[in-house]
Amino acid sequence: MAAADTPSATTLRRRDLCSRGIRLARKMRSDVADLLDIYVERQGLDASISVAAVEGVPAAAAEHWSEQTGTQRLLDNLAAYRAFRTLLAQMLEEQREQLGDADAALGRALAAVLLQVSAFAYHLEELLELESRGPPGDEGDGPPAPPRLSLFEQKLRGLGVLRELAQWAVRSVRDLRQLARPGPGAGSAPGLAEGQ
Amino acid sequence: QNLKCVTHNLRKMVCTWDVSSRRRHGQTDFCYTTIDHPLTECFKTKEKRVEIPVPESSTTIKITTNSISGTPFATREFEIRKKDISFIPLAPHILSLTPDFPTSTLTLKWSDNGSIFPYGLDAFWQIEILRKETMEKVTQVTYYSKLTHEDIILSWNWTSDMPLECTSHYVKIRCYINVTQFVGHKDWSDWSPVEESPGKDTEPHGSGVFPQDTVVAVGSDVTICCVHEEGQQIKRMTYGPEAYPLIRLSSRSSAIRVLNASASDTSGTNVVCSLSEDGMDGTVLFVGYAPDIPQNLSCETSNFELIKCTWKPGRPSGLYGKRGTKYSLFERISGKNVSCEVNEMNKERVCGFPVLADQKTYNFLLGVSNPIGQTEASLLVDISQRVHPKTPEKLTVSGNSSTSVHLRWFINGSFAEIRLLCQIEISNGHSEQKLHNVSMPGGKSSTYTAQLNTLHPYTKYWFRVRCSAADHFWRWSDWSRIEEHTTLEA
Repeated sequence: MAAADTPSATTLRRRDLCSRGIRLARKMRSDVADLLDIYVERQGLDASISVAAVEGVPAAAAEHWSEQTGTQRLLDNLAAYRAFRTLLAQMLEEQREQLGDADAALGRALAAVLLQVSAFAYHLEELLELESRGPPGDEGDGPPAPPRLSLFEQKLRGLGVLRELAQWAVRSVRDLRQLARPGPGAGSAPGLAEGQ
Repeated sequence: QNLKCVTHNLRKMVCTWDVSSRRRHGQTDFCYTTIDHPLTECFKTKEKRVEIPVPESSTTIKITTNSISGTPFATREFEIRKKDISFIPLAPHILSLTPDFPTSTLTLKWSDNGSIFPYGLDAFWQIEILRKETMEKVTQVTYYSKLTHEDIILSWNWTSDMPLECTSHYVKIRCYINVTQFVGHKDWSDWSPVEESPGKDTEPHGSGVFPQDTVVAVGSDVTICCVHEEGQQIKRMTYGPEAYPLIRLSSRSSAIRVLNASASDTSGTNVVCSLSEDGMDGTVLFVGYAPDIPQNLSCETSNFELIKCTWKPGRPSGLYGKRGTKYSLFERISGKNVSCEVNEMNKERVCGFPVLADQKTYNFLLGVSNPIGQTEASLLVDISQRVHPKTPEKLTVSGNSSTSVHLRWFINGSFAEIRLLCQIEISNGHSEQKLHNVSMPGGKSSTYTAQLNTLHPYTKYWFRVRCSAADHFWRWSDWSRIEEHTTLEA
């Protein structure tokens, strides 16, 4: 087989990372869905309650999604999951302050998803490393420190975070599928050229 | 006619009168004579009102009304006796009305104006609280004080049954001074001007659900209000899963009244105010119990370094995290206080207190509190009578004889001040089990030894040991691990 046909080590590495990333995102999506159920029930919220967008988290719904470059997809994903990492950590802290050890189940579920989000962010950084441009620095692009919220606002904000995270988990699967597609231009948008 | 004299301070009185004639009239000549002051005093006045001293017994008053040109056209004389004079204090002056929102308490301060009155008079203050746009009367209270011939600032607290943010509260006050020796008519003063504690519904963009994230006792009746912007309407207010009827407080504030509130879930009960145009606001109410009196408070030491106190918390408070029950251990003799880190989910609570040098007796007061209430339990204990040693470790059995063995073991802790009693359990394969007690002076993190004789030769034995205080037995330690040993052949 001509040298040109055998995919380069970088391509193989990217496909491997993408497929593992897709599996991680799917697992995260199902865990976030379970967490949402626990959260709504334990916080005494009405599942149909509408919640405003959470400040500091890029919305999962992206305009011109199909035209995004591979790099842009990775950067958007990374920014979102770094923000979720901070937000989930804040939620965990608030949960401990408000409930102490009283609701260990919710605490464990939150901690588990936080772990997955951190792992996924690291995964995205690896993918960006492949492009030899490296992930952007982690300081300062996370959400601002939480304003002084009332408990009810905290509950709603948490719900908003988890709902948006669930959306992002779906989007990440689609983004990584895009990236995993073989060859330049065949589905993977420009900017993620071969072997760059 | 209708001459009336009123005193506000028991020294001066204001007399007022009417003029029956329709004719236009000019100034009035007012003359008065009192028994205790025979000189007649006269003066001219345009008013139909003059202020003159309160007489010791009576005053003769002559009022001459003059025409515009100054010629008298009507004269009348009056005899004013003490009993004809009314005593009506001046309306009190409110100094301040201060809201404390977290506790929904209004603090009213006013001056009793006592300096103008003789010492020792009884004063009654009627305080009225009003609320809502319609200034409905909420309550009226009578407060008592004694005048001291000085101006004293009086203070009075009132806790509202609804958060002060919900709507404006108003206060007014009047007084009645009981001058027993004053024979004339006595009456309440006028009401003071109304003082307002404005609600959030008066602030241009004030909004919110109140009280915010508060804690109440199970069984309480709670008023929760929703303050919203001008033009918005409240569609519904729910407490937990249930919608409640709205009570209108003002155009921008309505409330619900929850009676006999039941314990909330771990994360509190949500109160959601659904507003027009998909607006929504809410608060969380935590409904729980005051802490129960700790049961079975017991303190012991396992090493004479730390005293471990344990207790059963009793009924759960239903409050967690930063609203959870806090415990502190106060030792009265040394005055030392320790706050306890407690895991709410454990059935038993534990708190450690350092063993203090040269102190054997400890007078503990376990303080228990949460946002709803507090309680305590106490315990007087001689710690040398509450020794519960740690499990003996590193048990070794040795011996080069057919009928005796030598045991060694280690116990962490300093027991130098007491004697230890240790019990060695000896068992061999024939379901024969013996207990051998041995006592020895305690040491500081020491190794202890014992010798066992009269064993059977060439026999496999299993040994384990536990210890306690020899004098004033309290509790055995746990058993050590089992050690096996076979005696030599005879």
